Amino acid sequence: MMGRWPLVLAVLVAIVLAGVPWFGNDVAVQFGINALLLATLAQSWNILGGFTGYVSFGNSVFYGLGTYGTAVAMTHFNLPFGVGLVVGAVVAMLCAALVGIPILRLRGPYFAIATLGLNGAMAAIVSNLPIAGSNIGLVLPLMRGDAIFYELALALLVVCTLTVLWISSSRYGMALVAIREDEDAAGSMGVNATLYKVTALVLSALFTAIAGGIHAYWSTFVDPASAFDTTLNVRMVIMCVFGGPGTVFGPVVGSFILSAVYEVLASEISTAAVLFFGLVIVLAVVFTPKGLTDLMAGARRSGWRYLFRNIRENRL
Amino acid sequence: MNEVANVAPQAKTIMEARGITKRFQGLVSVDKVSFSLAENEILGLIGPNGAGKTTLVNMIGGTLKPNEGDLLFEGERINDVSPYRRAHLGIARTFQIMKPFPGMSVLENVAVGALFGRDGGEKSMAKAREIAREWITFTGLGQRMDAHADALGGPDRKRLEFAKALAMGPKLLLLDEVMAGLNHVEVDEMVELIKKIRARGVTLLVIEHVIKAIRSLSDRVMVLHHGERIAEGDPALVLADPRVVEAYLGKRRT
Ligand SMILES: Nc1ncnc2c1ncn2[C@@H]1O[C@H](COP(=O)(O)OP(=O)(O)O)[C@@H](O)[C@H]1O
Ligand SMILES: [Mg+2]
Repeated sequence: MMGRWPLVLAVLVAIVLAGVPWFGNDVAVQFGINALLLATLAQSWNILGGFTGYVSFGNSVFYGLGTYGTAVAMTHFNLPFGVGLVVGAVVAMLCAALVGIPILRLRGPYFAIATLGLNGAMAAIVSNLPIAGSNIGLVLPLMRGDAIFYELALALLVVCTLTVLWISSSRYGMALVAIREDEDAAGSMGVNATLYKVTALVLSALFTAIAGGIHAYWSTFVDPASAFDTTLNVRMVIMCVFGGPGTVFGPVVGSFILSAVYEVLASEISTAAVLFFGLVIVLAVVFTPKGLTDLMAGARRSGWRYLFRNIRENRL
Repeated sequence: MNEVANVAPQAKTIMEARGITKRFQGLVSVDKVSFSLAENEILGLIGPNGAGKTTLVNMIGGTLKPNEGDLLFEGERINDVSPYRRAHLGIARTFQIMKPFPGMSVLENVAVGALFGRDGGEKSMAKAREIAREWITFTGLGQRMDAHADALGGPDRKRLEFAKALAMGPKLLLLDEVMAGLNHVEVDEMVELIKKIRARGVTLLVIEHVIKAIRSLSDRVMVLHHGERIAEGDPALVLADPRVVEAYLGKRRT
């Protein structure tokens, strides 16, 4: 289903990206860390959102739990960073399983609405936990060396994308896509939808939480407002949908492009950046509702007419 | 005419419904219906539109729960068994309102059946694709293997529904109007396919408006009218029953 060249290109891009800390400046590396972590978040969101079609606004909760799990393990228990990441990931995965089993019974928009509530609830809980620094937050030990964080973020994105690559060609992925295409038909054909949806959410939580943990150690500070941030979840959705949900490379490409666009806009026109960013998103969704990946396939088939066909088909 | 001998009374029962009833906000769609299916039998199910045939299939498949009564499959009560586990037990169905996976190719659509059907399905993708290819060819969709499901026309969609259910390797196959919209030649082809399926040991419940097909396929025919079973038995006798003619055949002729 996927040709050879996207894989070859992806490997080349990964090799070039791995070299950035050697030939890039500090600004490039810092921008890179953020962009790589955001791409990982978009790719993680893709596992559930792109493949099963369930729109989660709970991923920022997993991010926050990864952040806090790492921070609490390192500051209160003096555990090494690696153990902190594992603690954060395990807590986030448990949360995903516990929350997923009841609310993944809800279909479509009802699931999305239910996940929206989680974020506020979790922020409130953490704000009242002395061990998590209540509403003040936690300061992590300082570690210098952006290059290490950069390479870690890149490695995480690579592993997350390899996981999605495996999903896209496996029996497991067939179940997820069948659920997205028609959950009732999938069930009648023997797909245990609850099992697959919950495991997809748990996988999604795993990578999201590790991204949170890396960001926590890198920024050396966590507080409830930035750890449990719904706008971060909205960015995951936008980046994934912009790039092409349910594809292997779409979410990564989409988030790289949007990160770059945002960076350029923010440096050129600062205050109006968010407005323009919003405009870019609206145009992208109007012209390519199925993402960049579909745009490329569609453009190859029908050229510029593809854009107008989308508008017609979506009755905009 | 009935080349297949009537099912002997001692034939093993594979599925049984005992007084099952389904109500939708006061409207009774299926009213205390009891029947049983012998292993490897073909039961034709007919009745006018709105008689409750699809509702009955939905209850056997598990997408709807009966309000009253019991459903038994191979002697076990399955009222509370979810649809996917019924698929694992060996129950497969087609949907009258077809439910292809539109974003998947024909091959992938059918492979889902092979991957997750009876006993939890095939674990290897390659093996599942092989099984899928066989059933796609069997149902006459061989030329459309890699087409997207939403690019298929009506009759091909019916064949796809059929192939998806077959790839599950079912013991009991519920066919809900798979011949609707097919022309005479296609109906005859479908009748032959169904006979071949039965020859492999599958039990079938066939809902169909095409009386000619019901006549040539069924060992027994059951008639539903306003949710009630009004007749059941030998096809020739049932189709000649005045109540059936009035409720169903008569209506269709006007
Ligand atoms: N999900 C549902 N909700 C409400 N009413 C339904 C539902 N499904 C079927 N019905 C009603 O049940 C009756 C039987 O429908 P159905 O089983 O589809 O008949 P048939 O397949 O014999 O044409 C109809 O009156 C129909 O309107
Ligand atoms: Mg019907």
